[in-house]
Amino acid sequence: MIPVSVITGFLGSGKTTLLRSVLRDPAYAGSAVIVNEWGDIGLDHELLETSEENLLGLANGCLCCTTRGDLARTLIDLAARRKSGAVTYHRVLIETTGLADPAPILHTLLMDPSIAEDHRVEAVVTVVDALLGAETITRHPEATQQAMLADRLLLSKTDLAPDTSALEAALASLNPGAPILRAVHGAIPPDMLFASAAGPETLQHWLEAIATPGARHSAGVETISILREEPLPAVVLPLFLEALAEHAGEKLLRMKGIICVAEAPGKPAVLHGVRHVLHPIQWLEDWPSADRRSRLVLIGQGIPQWWPVRLLEALEEEARA
Amino acid sequence: MNPPALRALLADSLTLWGVTGRVEIADCGVRIIAGDQVLHVAQAAPEEAPMRWWLLRDGRRRPAGSILGLLRSLRYALNATSTEPARARVAAPL
Repeated sequence: MIPVSVITGFLGSGKTTLLRSVLRDPAYAGSAVIVNEWGDIGLDHELLETSEENLLGLANGCLCCTTRGDLARTLIDLAARRKSGAVTYHRVLIETTGLADPAPILHTLLMDPSIAEDHRVEAVVTVVDALLGAETITRHPEATQQAMLADRLLLSKTDLAPDTSALEAALASLNPGAPILRAVHGAIPPDMLFASAAGPETLQHWLEAIATPGARHSAGVETISILREEPLPAVVLPLFLEALAEHAGEKLLRMKGIICVAEAPGKPAVLHGVRHVLHPIQWLEDWPSADRRSRLVLIGQGIPQWWPVRLLEALEEEARA
Repeated sequence: MNPPALRALLADSLTLWGVTGRVEIADCGVRIIAGDQVLHVAQAAPEEAPMRWWLLRDGRRRPAGSILGLLRSLRYALNATSTEPARARVAAPL
């Protein structure tokens, strides 16, 4: 499986600078790079120093809307050329436009069977301008969406902004589970950005971030955290996920959770989902910490704060009856 | 599930679906009033298993085997499906 990571961030946040820095790392120099630019003349891909055959520009449209089909075709063509030996790469990095909504891109990557056959989504990295980011996420819903869907948030230009505490608080409110990293001129070990978002480091971070149940609100976005002491009957889990997808569908931007299942309390179930698209449940061999409570974070817009908890309790009551 | 808990879940569901209306506790369970529609939800009697819920409208009763089925029936009855409800889809493993 070829790992695919998405680099997103608002206009001018420093995505290309980051990508240039990443590609200088020997372990990432051989990555296939797909750069999406909006406009008749693509410039960003001219700024990247990488082999021509591994660099593809998708101009004249945004990946999240007009060129989604192009992305799928590009990835499939690349994989076919890799199989034939025409190109060599071990990972794919996708740089979106500054106005892209990562959700449809993730949807394409996760749900297109021709892509999913050879690729796995590793991480979504959102670059946030340390100087202008707070204002940007207030004014531009695209920037808010990019922050909410990140597996990791990277503050760029931190040399220009000595105090980023307000921005960090705003980002933590939008996406409590994503670690906030910092870089000047894109200088950061790439593995800190692109290690699998399902890995133990990321899991532990968001578990700590959601220790307090309830809901936080920012820019019309709610982060709903559910904490449960009692293990859940296994049958409740698929019913709950089905109901979430059916009724909260488009309003649910992201979901992560670790669940203590009554039938196997020693092996927690890890849930990951984007909108109504769910990854198969991962079963861990053991709990990552002494805290064995079920915890679930839902990031969405327009989902009543207590609806998921009430639904879960109703399903649990039926399962136990 | 007691009537206050059912009322709270259904009231939240109306909000989620963008339906303007109210949910009240009634003799049979709860009553939903939305526009000119009045519906009732009642818990099925134990001998009616595997049915758990009844949705009543215009003298007709529609059964539901779970709260999930009840929500689906209620949403359709209220015509609160401006777009086709999403179905859960399974992506590739992480």
